[in-house]
Amino acid sequence: MSDHEIYLDYAATSPVDPEVQAAMLECLRHEFGNPSSQHAAGRRARRLVDAARAAVAARVGAAPEHLLFTSGATEANNLALKGVLRRQRGARPHLVTSRIEHKSVLDTARALEADGVEVTYVDAETDGSVDPQRVAAALRTETSLVSIMHVNNETGVIQDVNAIGALCRDRGVLFHVDAAQSVGKLALRLAEAPIDLCSLTAHKVCGPKGVGALYVAPRTLLAAQLHGGEQERGLRAGTQATHQIVGMGRAYELADPELEAPRLSALRDRLWRELQAIPGVRQNGAADRRAAHVLNATFPGVDGESLRFALRGVAVSAGSACAADSPEASHVLTGMGLSDVLAASSLRFSVGRFTTKAEVVQAAAEVAAAVNRLRSAAKSAPAWCSGSGF
Amino acid sequence: MEYGSATARYFGALDRAGELPNGLPGLVSGEAEDRTLQVWVRYELQLQGGIVRLARFQVFGCPHAVAAASKVAEWLEGRSEAEARALDARAVCAELEVPVEKLGKLVRIEDAVAACWRIRAAGNE
Repeated sequence: MSDHEIYLDYAATSPVDPEVQAAMLECLRHEFGNPSSQHAAGRRARRLVDAARAAVAARVGAAPEHLLFTSGATEANNLALKGVLRRQRGARPHLVTSRIEHKSVLDTARALEADGVEVTYVDAETDGSVDPQRVAAALRTETSLVSIMHVNNETGVIQDVNAIGALCRDRGVLFHVDAAQSVGKLALRLAEAPIDLCSLTAHKVCGPKGVGALYVAPRTLLAAQLHGGEQERGLRAGTQATHQIVGMGRAYELADPELEAPRLSALRDRLWRELQAIPGVRQNGAADRRAAHVLNATFPGVDGESLRFALRGVAVSAGSACAADSPEASHVLTGMGLSDVLAASSLRFSVGRFTTKAEVVQAAAEVAAAVNRLRSAAKSAPAWCSGSGF
Repeated sequence: MEYGSATARYFGALDRAGELPNGLPGLVSGEAEDRTLQVWVRYELQLQGGIVRLARFQVFGCPHAVAAASKVAEWLEGRSEAEARALDARAVCAELEVPVEKLGKLVRIEDAVAACWRIRAAGNE
């Protein structure tokens, strides 16, 4: 990170906490053993993996034996969806998800469609929520799985996964939740929730990239998607990346929502108060049911790509970093009813552990100056440039 | 999206962004847009003695569109009307390294300048 860059893109990824770095370095220096080996070095590595699994499990309210380590939430999402649907035999299996899921769920759903799975994409409401009743209406007798994210990565809107999970339980349908954005912001109690599969990641909570986990509730059967070993209960073959797993464990120990969420929401709200000085600015997503770290705002009359370019001292994004190379407008914002122009005039700000109040105030001032400059250069622009009259 | 240094320079220096004063002698203006490409461009030119003395632009669009509109305005100033009419925005903006999927925006910039001549001709009829 440059000395002069204000980093407000924690929903994309986060800097690795020094305590996490220290734990990982210690492991890299001294514990190279293969956790599957029976000798002393292997047993030590195995103990580190077990300890990290216990730490992750404690943070998400699950039993350690119900967590599988993966390379990240994308792999966890793939394993959950493909693992359930590729086990189905006979009738054409059916998956229900929403139009505003992360690309790693939507692209997996499309890959499954190509394999013959039927997929129903539930519409989102204009406030960014997914109405459980829409999910209920989409269920069929052949529905095998529902996949709905917990916290939307672009708007921060929290979905009612307990209600959706409950109706899935009533209908005997498995329920998968992508919780990549939840840890450290919301308390999770997976063992008590009507959730069968839950994807987790380390790098959104100041842990390393390249490691995540999938929670698999008791009696939930999956088909492995990687073959070549019995690691992770035979569901995820491959030598465990001990140092990555150790990093995830330490990151999850540190990611206490009771400590972090109030500070994050105060920073986010301060940022919004400052941004409100910009005429016409508006928030996207239900303000009363959002995770603490995300603010998505639209600046009508300004092209978002130009705004981001003008903000070279402030790291923000248009939406998901996983879709940043696409010229398409955010599927989440258009899925909430925004026009392509307004969606493209939007920015996602996300604060994190190392964000300061001074930074959000400075960032808001820089955004205001950039918006003003770009609007001045388009003073006579037609109404469609501001998202109206389209 | 990566942007080159020339794009950054022209995007950052919007000296010619804005409008010319109403009633300025020899003032012509024209604009063009493409909603699919999400670009709108407007030029105001002052023509005196067959020369473009001043060029001002307004633009809504991506950094390449903004930089290209700025670069073309700079290029237009001091050109003869005949030269300006023959504007090849892709050639003028070569140093901006506009990616192929955005070249349509350069066409809209040419259209906006061409609209100046069309509107002038219509006004002279």
